[in-house]
Order: sequence, then structure tokens, then C-alpha cells
Amino acid sequence: MDRFSVFTSRLVEKSENFTSGHRACQGCAEALAVRLVLKALGRDTIVAMATGCMEIISSPLPLTAWKVPWIHNAFENPAAVISGCESGMKALMRKGRVPKKKINFVGMGGDGATADIGMGPLSGALERGHDMVYVCYDNEAYMNTGIQRSSSTPYGASTTTSPAGTVSFGQQTEKKNLTQIAVAHNIPYVATACPSFPFDLLEKVKKAAALPGPAYIHILSVCPTGWRIQTEDAIKFGRLAVDSCIFPLYEVTHGKYNLNYRPYKKIPVEEYLKGQGRFRHLTDEEISHIQTTVDRDYQKILKRCEED
Amino acid sequence: MNKRETILMKGADAIGEAAVRAGCSCYFGYPITPQNEIPEYMSRRMDEVGRVFLQGESEIASINMVLGAAAAGVRAMTSSSSPGISLKQEGLSFLAAMELPAVIININRGGPGLGNIAPSQGDYYQATRGGGHGDYRMPVYAPATIQELYDFTMESFDVADIYRTPVMILGDGMMGQLVEPIIVHEREEIDLPPKDYILNGAQERPSRIIKSLILDTREMEEHNWKLKRKYDLMRTLLPRYEEFMTDDAKLVIIAYGTAARIAKGAVKRVRSNGLKVGLFRPITVWPFPDEAVLSLTKKSKVFLVFEMSTGQMVDDVRLAVSGRVDCEFYGRPGGIIPSPQEISRIIERYWMQKEL
Repeated sequence: MDRFSVFTSRLVEKSENFTSGHRACQGCAEALAVRLVLKALGRDTIVAMATGCMEIISSPLPLTAWKVPWIHNAFENPAAVISGCESGMKALMRKGRVPKKKINFVGMGGDGATADIGMGPLSGALERGHDMVYVCYDNEAYMNTGIQRSSSTPYGASTTTSPAGTVSFGQQTEKKNLTQIAVAHNIPYVATACPSFPFDLLEKVKKAAALPGPAYIHILSVCPTGWRIQTEDAIKFGRLAVDSCIFPLYEVTHGKYNLNYRPYKKIPVEEYLKGQGRFRHLTDEEISHIQTTVDRDYQKILKRCEED
Repeated sequence: MNKRETILMKGADAIGEAAVRAGCSCYFGYPITPQNEIPEYMSRRMDEVGRVFLQGESEIASINMVLGAAAAGVRAMTSSSSPGISLKQEGLSFLAAMELPAVIININRGGPGLGNIAPSQGDYYQATRGGGHGDYRMPVYAPATIQELYDFTMESFDVADIYRTPVMILGDGMMGQLVEPIIVHEREEIDLPPKDYILNGAQERPSRIIKSLILDTREMEEHNWKLKRKYDLMRTLLPRYEEFMTDDAKLVIIAYGTAARIAKGAVKRVRSNGLKVGLFRPITVWPFPDEAVLSLTKKSKVFLVFEMSTGQMVDDVRLAVSGRVDCEFYGRPGGIIPSPQEISRIIERYWMQKEL
């Protein structure tokens, strides 16, 4: 993000490429994220999307919320399918069958599709260096099938397959750090974003699309249904996640780290956890453990940002 | 829960409870609708009884976790629905080749591709013809009630151990979601062959090898014939079926699973109008009860196969009757659940057409 850019809502693209009227739950921040991403990308975009909430809610044929070419594919395949689209269009342009122009190739998937079953194809696409953007909408569980844990579910969260009770405190493992996995591929652009910070998100998507080569954007998408929060609080919890540094907003451009948002005052992680039904069983001991891991991870990011 | 009692249970929960009582030590799941209630039930229940519930990162991971657990010598199970079962096919082929016991639940949904999440019977070919690559078969049970779902899940662990084979329970979205009163009971102890193939440390014994890579063509041929002999044994011992009012039936409707429930209702309906119609329900769809179908041809001259697909089991029926009787077909694919009224109209139509 350029230091002297001016952001006002008046200057944001007005046209909608992901239209209203879809079937997302009330307060779905993931649908908001898709809307913002599509705003930033514009009409010259091809989207390959994995099975998941966003696919189900946006494409009940004959209805569709998409104003761009959109291809749906099985759970593990968005990165592979968009690789194929990019290669195919490249061939068509070389042969002169379609006019040469800049097209954004975008793979989209939820955290299950990205962190679990589609990890291999995503890694392959990033390694092959296709000119594409992969956007992961991370709502921290398999929400579409009924809130089952994924490897992106945070420590301590109660889901239907990691239920909290007398024997267990919920998710036993720590959240998989997908952003760092993407960074490890040495691709031109990796960023984290959250629809609670819309200008930041828009800029990152524009940058990812503009830079040649693969880019990866990890978007924290608050899910009121799965996180057990009030529907009107989705934006608030996105801000709390960033302000408590459990989800820092940063970007890595050609290996160079940049922290996009430094909270004015870093709030304790408890404030983020306490309003959520999925964390309500946590004891002080577990919360302090989470605080330790959050501090540890945040310091790592800070250090890298300061070094660069 | 007590040892034996009647309770109201959902299909998915019945599968889970049966597996727990059959001594399933490891369950490996992955979310896919309409079978999510199975991993959800198991995540609670397996913890309670101190066993292993694990959610893999994909269906491929889950089935191969089952393979690992079976090689280690414990009873293991996985469950999925149609698109997920497609991903599991590689693992099934390996399980069959390595002769490892496992139980796989397929809560069939509409297809091909992602299809929908409604009950369907489109996976019949995939289930009964092997599905994965290579020359193998796999016993497949098609329950039609929640009690059967419970009983066959329990029994399939024994069948898997006796024959050292993967066993599939072929349900559908309706079987998984249906709630019925069932009798839950403990497993009857039976004599099982010793697990003399498992890999549990070779300190006191010669080392063992479980593998599916057999490069020597002669050795591979022998392995294929060995598997064939095993499948022949299953073909004679395993087939099961249910006959309903077939004694004096001129027309027999053949259906399995959910379709058979509907057909039973239709048979009762047309019987009240004086039509002599019966129901034949294969319980094992592989091995298919060929001989029982063949012996029915002595009594009835018209067979009507009803499936919630465009016609898959009808092939097996036609093979079994080898042209002896007229074999008609009626299907509703794509997740439609026809009513008994609809099926009784179809029966009446054929009754008139064939001048029975």
C-alpha cells in the first residue's frame, strides 16, 4: 500500500460483479469479501471456485450472483482448474483466436479446500508460476457441511467434529499458517486481508492481480453461524481479530515483508475470544496459552517487517 | 446405554453406534453432505469410549488411514458420500489387493459430478463392479431400514475380518437421515480367523510383508487367482435377499435399499386391489443373489426392476434371468423419491400391458 494513497468510499468502484440476492446467511463476511474482491478485479476476470459456502449460495441454477465467467469444480481443484484456464487462454491468445488483453485468473476456495484437500494442487500452481491470484476465504471450519473442524480451525474452537465437553476442549491443534506456506513458495505476492478493512483488501487484490506471476491472498472471513456470534457483529469481530494481532494484516512482495496495519493499542486476545460461542468453554489457562502463541507469532511477523 | 434396548435413532447415528459396538477402534472421516452426522457422532462417541476419531485432510487421506490401521491389526472404518467415495477408490483397490479388512460407508447422493445432496442409487455400478482399478470385488450391503443399517454395519466388520476384504455399506441420503426405532444390541461373538498377517513388531516371529506391488507376472497371476477363489467363496456364502409376497406373484418388483421400501408400500397397495404382485429385495448387491432371482422365474413371468437411477441393477437381474422372463425397468434418478402411489401406478400399467 502506497504511503500517500488517499482512500475514500467515493473513489471505490461502484459496479458490482458479485451481486446481491444470493443465499448467504445474515451477516456473512465471506460474501462481503467476495464482493470486494470482485470489485477490485473488475469484469476481465475468470474465476474458478471450489465447492463450499460461496459456491452453494451464489449459483443455484438458473440463478447466479456472478457477473464474470465462473467455473465451479470439485473441492480440491480450484488451483488446478485456474492453471488450466490460464494455460488455455495463453494458447488461444498466442494463436490469435482471442484478442490479447490482460485477464485476471482467480482461484477461490474456503479454508477446507485450501488448507486441507486442495493443498497439493495449490502448491503445484504456485510452483509452476501461473499468472493467477488464489484467494482463500478462511472462515476457520467446514461451514458449508455443518461446522466441522479443518486444519485452519484455531486452537480451542468447538466444532461439530472437535466438540468441547468433559473430555475435550475443542480443537487440539494450532491453526495451519497458510500464508507462511505460500510465502515459502517464493511467489511475487502474498497477503493477508479482512473485509473489516475494505480499502486494504481492495488494494491488495489490485496489487495481486497487477503483479505478473502467482499471488496468494488469505482473507479472514467472519462466519456468524459457525463462530456463534450475533449477525451484526461480523465486522466487529474482524476488527477484533486484527486488533488483537491474532490475524495481523501484512503483505510479502517479492519476499519483502510489510505490516499494513499496526493496531493503535494491541488488545488482549481474550476480548476477541470471549464474545464467540465457539470459544466460550475456554478456561483462563487455555486463553493465556492462546495469548502466548499469538504474541509469539506476531513478534515473528513484526521482526520480519522490521528487517525488510 | 444398556446392552439391548429399543431406541429412536437416526441412520447416521445407528451406523456410528453399531461400529462402536462392533469394536471399531479407529474411525477416519471427512466432511461431505449427507453423511456429516456420522463423523459428528463418532467425534463424540469415540472419545467417550477412549478410541480414535480422526478427521483427515481429504477422503484420500481418510481411506489410507484406514489402510494403515488395518495393517496394524485394528478394526477401522471410514464413511463418505458419492464424490468422496470416488476419491477413495484408489484406497479401496489397495485394500483389496493387500487383503486388508475395512468397512466403508457410502451414503449415496445424486450425481454424476457434484450432483446434489438428495438420496440416489447412482453408485450401484461403482460399488458392485469394484470402482477402483484392477481385478477385484467387494461385498456390498444395501440396507433398507435403520435396524438393518445397524445390523449390517456390525456384521460387516466380521465379514471384513473373515474374508480379509473391504466391505461397503451402500446407503443413501434417506437412509442416513431417517429416524426409526431400532433395537441396539451387542455384537455376537463368533470365531474369527487369527490375524496372522498384521504388522505389530517382528521380535518373536519372522517378519511379514503386506504389499500390492507384484512385478513378477506369474506371481501376480497367482495372486489374482487367489483373490478370485476368495470371491467365489463369497459368491456362494454371502448372498442375502428378502422376498415379500412372492409365493403366488405373477409380477415381481425387484428393488434394493430405499427403493425397496417404496416398492413394498406399492406392493401392499396393489395387493389390496387383487393384483398378485410380490417384492424381491437383494440385501447384498455384491454378491448378487443370482440363484434366488433365477428360481423366481419358475413362478413369475414378469420382472419389474425399480431403481433410483437410470438403470444399473437391472443389468444384474437380466444376467441372472438370462432371457427367461420379461425384465422391465422403471427409474427415477437425480434424487427424486417417488411415492408408493407412483410405483403402484407403474405396476398396474405393466399388469395391464402384459395381460396378467
